[in-house]
Amino acid sequence: MHPATHPTASAPDGRTYRTPLLRRRLLRGLLAAVVALPLVGAAAACGDDAASDGKTKISIFWWGGEARAQLTEQALDLYTQENPDVVFEKTWQANQGYFDKLATLTAGGSPPDIFQIDDNYLTEYAARNTTLDLTPYQQSGDLDTSKFPESLWQYGVVDGKLAGLAAGENTQGLVYNKTLVTKNGLPEPTTGMSWEEHIAWAEQVSKKTGVPGTMDASAVDKAFWVWLRQQGKDLYSGNDLGFTVEDVTRWFELWKDARERGATPTPDVIHEGNATDITKQLVVTGKAATSWVWVNQMPELKKNTSDELGVIAYPGDPSGQWARAAMYWSVFRGSKNADIAVDVINFLANDPDAVKLLGTDRGLPSNLDLRRVVSDDTTDEAMKQSIAVETELAESFGESPQVPIKGHSKVRAELTKAAENAQYGRATPAEAAAQFVEACKAAIAS
Amino acid sequence: MALTTAPDPTRRGTGSVRPDANRRGTGRIRHGEGLAGYVFLSPWLIGLMGITAIPMLLSLYLSFTNYDILTPFSEVEWVGLANYERMFTSDPSWWHSVRVTLSFALIAVPLKLAAALGVALLLNRAWRGVGLFRGLFYLPSLLGGSVALAIVWVNMFNRDGAFNSFLALFGIQGKPWVNDPDWALETLMVLAIWQFGAPMVIFLAGLKQVPTELYEAAAVDGAGKFRQFVNVTLPMLSPVIFFNLVLETINGFQGFTAAFVLSNGTGGPVDSTLMYTLNLYITGFTDLEMGYASAMAWVFLIAIAIITVVFFSTGRFWVHYSDGEDR
Amino acid sequence: MVAGTVAPPVATRPQRPRSRSWLRLIVLLAIVAVVLYPLFWMIGTSVKSQEEIVNNIGLLPRNFTPGNYTDGWTNFDVSFARFFLNSAMVSLLTVVGNAVSCLLAAYAFARLKFRLRGLWFAVMIGTLLLPGHVLIVPQYILFRTLGLVGGEWPYLPLLIPQFLATEAFFVFLMVQFMRGIPRELDEAARIDGANAFGIFRHVILPLSRPALVTTAIFSFIWTWNDFFRQLVFLSDLSDYTVPVALTLFIDSTSQSAVGPMFAMAVLSLLPVFGFFVAFQRMLVEGINTSGLKG
Repeated sequence: MHPATHPTASAPDGRTYRTPLLRRRLLRGLLAAVVALPLVGAAAACGDDAASDGKTKISIFWWGGEARAQLTEQALDLYTQENPDVVFEKTWQANQGYFDKLATLTAGGSPPDIFQIDDNYLTEYAARNTTLDLTPYQQSGDLDTSKFPESLWQYGVVDGKLAGLAAGENTQGLVYNKTLVTKNGLPEPTTGMSWEEHIAWAEQVSKKTGVPGTMDASAVDKAFWVWLRQQGKDLYSGNDLGFTVEDVTRWFELWKDARERGATPTPDVIHEGNATDITKQLVVTGKAATSWVWVNQMPELKKNTSDELGVIAYPGDPSGQWARAAMYWSVFRGSKNADIAVDVINFLANDPDAVKLLGTDRGLPSNLDLRRVVSDDTTDEAMKQSIAVETELAESFGESPQVPIKGHSKVRAELTKAAENAQYGRATPAEAAAQFVEACKAAIAS
Repeated sequence: MALTTAPDPTRRGTGSVRPDANRRGTGRIRHGEGLAGYVFLSPWLIGLMGITAIPMLLSLYLSFTNYDILTPFSEVEWVGLANYERMFTSDPSWWHSVRVTLSFALIAVPLKLAAALGVALLLNRAWRGVGLFRGLFYLPSLLGGSVALAIVWVNMFNRDGAFNSFLALFGIQGKPWVNDPDWALETLMVLAIWQFGAPMVIFLAGLKQVPTELYEAAAVDGAGKFRQFVNVTLPMLSPVIFFNLVLETINGFQGFTAAFVLSNGTGGPVDSTLMYTLNLYITGFTDLEMGYASAMAWVFLIAIAIITVVFFSTGRFWVHYSDGEDR
Repeated sequence: MVAGTVAPPVATRPQRPRSRSWLRLIVLLAIVAVVLYPLFWMIGTSVKSQEEIVNNIGLLPRNFTPGNYTDGWTNFDVSFARFFLNSAMVSLLTVVGNAVSCLLAAYAFARLKFRLRGLWFAVMIGTLLLPGHVLIVPQYILFRTLGLVGGEWPYLPLLIPQFLATEAFFVFLMVQFMRGIPRELDEAARIDGANAFGIFRHVILPLSRPALVTTAIFSFIWTWNDFFRQLVFLSDLSDYTVPVALTLFIDSTSQSAVGPMFAMAVLSLLPVFGFFVAFQRMLVEGINTSGLKG
């Protein structure tokens, strides 16, 4: 292809097209390119999948930021130090496009040996037999979950198979702007306040400070889920929804009341906060005094504001919350080196040095012994705070629910749509709820 | 479509530039030219057969299946017309996305073309610094659909954004445009029009191709600037106007990037920016219903093909080709 | 090449004194100011701190933070320079591929008669119409079957299609331009004994400059900005291109480096802007067809 590159490479000055010599060269280059292309293709085909000097290559794919990439690469290097025969093909990117790429790779029959996944997609992949069942490894002890909280590893079980190993634990956290609240002489919210108390508190904050007291949580699926569990319901039950139109109506009405009382921002601002991006959370953009997040997001949230932040459980009985796997490591079922891949994820979860390296980047370490060590060692204040809060909450955690079923990401999108319809006043809570439930049923049926 | 695009040997050209002598041989394939045609066409043909056609036909096949990306091809189930049936009978969000797309394309495309042509005419003549101006007007299009663009646009058209500050100068109370379901689509249109660089460049290039002697001849005949524009520029530019019209219409209907970027890939608020292709993307990749998404894509193809055929068949009444053929 | 032979067209063209040129300038400047305001804002944001980006939506930063540029440049294990080089290489090769292969196809469609021409033309337009997202997965599978994915040089799946005129947009564009070239020029060349190849070289190629320049500009810019295909086919950090690398700054679920991202986004505009300004100069006035007739 090289001859063809020449004319354009020298073209920007605008001269080349005028000389007949170069035109001829352009033509010749083009012919060369056309002839050479199939050859190049064939050559590339040979290079595919070549094993390098007897070492086992494990491909691994995750999403995250630069910090996560650094830590993960260091941890994997540790593994290679201990197992010089294993080398890694590491691919990472931000969450934008991650699942698109993972799905495409899977379609091509070549997903990575190990991939990071979350509870939105775990069932989708597990139900299609993309993930390796880790249960035999767990039983043989090759995959050690004995130090994990029971409910945490169970949150990776889909249809009786262990489809993913919790790479870290997190739980819902209500973050509030401590500076704003204390500066105005208002009480700080506490874990255990009821939803009504929370809204009343938020109303007070709005009146006193002019900053809306709470982000409207009606479109926040994790808040809805906790609330459902507190009502003795659940998001899913078996392959069906675990709630009724009436439940959703009550949830939407709760927030309609909050909006009318001025406890929340206006719908357009709520819409901004409905994006899950950390940088758009209203508590850091200063557009509300609280935001509904995950506890382990505290350190990153703090980087986006100069105010001091506090974090507590979501309102209501904290036993509505559970030890959620922030994300999982899964192994591709068709992996040629499945045993090694499992050993790697075991290493990432249970090796003291690796876990210390990884810290709380993917959530609190799943291994409880090592979690304590990390907590004692860390110097990051925000990380210390989120570990302390979650450790405290862990005492009141309820049982973990079943992993969300197929169609979950659609259900989440539909919740946002229905809740926003109510927020913008385009539907009553009852109408929005009916619309939501109908859409959910269609989503999980297909 | 073949009918309308095939050259019609029985029609006579209306070109004024061309003497009739060169009609010679246009009716029949000249000796050796057929072969030459295929030689020149061969890279494209190889690409079509080897690269373009297979995925297209695969997607057509998949549109009759329940393909979900993760399941191997060998295990997908044939569902017949179920996907198409679902689209037309039981998918309100599909209809909704059709409406959103139509209103977007009908408004944004003409305005974008007008802006592009207007600025291209302003920047056509050579004067010191014209290149810089062309570049500056092209700059917005360079941003494409980057993450940065999303942040920029939201901050321009938010409640406390720059646009509202500007309105406030005139005492007008603005709205949270991007976050208002009644206005989010309009914000998207502004974004599309703002990125008018591509058709502008094509217009500029087209203007460059107008033979200067035609203007000279028109000037000799005493035609003023406006008459020159109507009698020379417009007809000579018509193939390019036609091209821009066809392609921008296709682009407008396909308009994915802006909607994806501005709504964070959701089509929100409350589906107000759920463009057809965005809906298709969400269906295929987020909801993993690629079979259904493929069906959507093929319905889209047919609809756009009809529009294109209409363009091509009206084109023969107003598009002037200097080569003397009418298509 | 000596500088004298390439005097820029702008300078050599006599400036026609126009009474209303100042008016045009003011109009243009006003439009430019409006059109470019979002870009000024972008530049302003590229020198804000993370906390300010989230909280200060004004044009100017309160604390000037030029460090975003150095941070962004060195943010990853691989320097951003590498991403620029990768993008430049992919984009330039795409320019070559599109210019050459589409020109050939366009010539066939615009000027030559051959069997099934109308059908092929319709098929060509048809390939423009299918939304690309349903093609990604089949395309990936196809390239994988052909053994082109994950080879030593991962850009093949991105480039091979460009050398086979799969971008129908450019084919159609060039067809439209070529059809604006008077046919008597072909006839004149034919009388001089030129065959189809000769006409292509001596008539069509020289007169296709506006179309070629346009194709070059768009090929370059669109490839420079293309995200999805590059994301799917590139898997190693050191192979990443600028658009893929830009998204690495923002993982909305965890870490976001918005300032460095803006800084690099601003920088990434410079090569495309430069490419555009350089190439648009080749859109020179006045194809004087009479000069070519003899």
